[in-house]
Amino acid sequence: MASTVIGAGITIEGELTTDEDVVVQGTLRGKLSAKDAVTVEHGGVVEADVSGGPVAVAGSVTGDISSSDRVDLQNGARVIGNVKAARITIADGAQFKGAVDMDV
Amino acid sequence: MADVTVIGRSAFVKGRVSGAGDLHIAGRVEGEVTSTGAVTVDETGLVAANLTARRLVVRGAVRGDLTADEAILVERGAKVVGDVRAPRIAVAAGALVRGYVETAVEGVGRANRAAATATRDKPKPAATPAVTARAQAPAREASPPTKQSSPAPSTASAKADAKAAPRGATLAGKRKVPPAPMVPALKKGGKAVQKRR
Repeated sequence: MASTVIGAGITIEGELTTDEDVVVQGTLRGKLSAKDAVTVEHGGVVEADVSGGPVAVAGSVTGDISSSDRVDLQNGARVIGNVKAARITIADGAQFKGAVDMDV
Repeated sequence: MADVTVIGRSAFVKGRVSGAGDLHIAGRVEGEVTSTGAVTVDETGLVAANLTARRLVVRGAVRGDLTADEAILVERGAKVVGDVRAPRIAVAAGALVRGYVETAVEGVGRANRAAATATRDKPKPAATPAVTARAQAPAREASPPTKQSSPAPSTASAKADAKAAPRGATLAGKRKVPPAPMVPALKKGGKAVQKRR
């Protein structure tokens, strides 16, 4: 189980910082920085710049995503913002609008 | 699982946390927390925020006001600095609370609240170890009058009892003339002692 979970009914307005992993099922506005995995589940809404380890998005993210590992935009994801990571996958059915930076 | 929110041990939230569903705080939160569900501050939780919820359980440290629609449980090891308001409040032994505490009866709550704000500026009691200490406080206040009056009748004769009663009743009189020691009184009445022999 993830160490930090933002449940479906919860809204955080502000900054969330953690050394562990984060799962977003609810809403987060502001800034999200984690050192471990970040998962935005289906129904989750993030209006913030996201930085973390592996980032998986199945929900909605508005803001820049920066990962030390990889970013997976899964089916149903809706991402508006720039993505910076070593590896990126964009699944069929994911909506994405932004620049990709892969440290070529 | 679906509606449970967890702020992990190493997590730090600065801002507003609001919404429905249960909330577990094991990390740090600064700002404001509002939930229509149950909010639990775990042992490792460190909250500098006003907490508002249907139900609150505190095992960690909170600096801010606690308000609940149903109940607040301040458990062993908890530290609370702030006002605590709920219809039902439990403070366990070993918990530290510093602030105004109000358990409201419905309907009376608002009147109490008005009175509360009026009397709030009174010096707050130092960190009290739990409800037991507070419960003892009124008992201590009540006990001195009984102590003053009770020893006399218990050991005294009928005459001494009659004398002791007014002394006990008026504190000023008692200060001026301390109650006659009962044992010397018996000794003085040597005749009475002799008669008994």
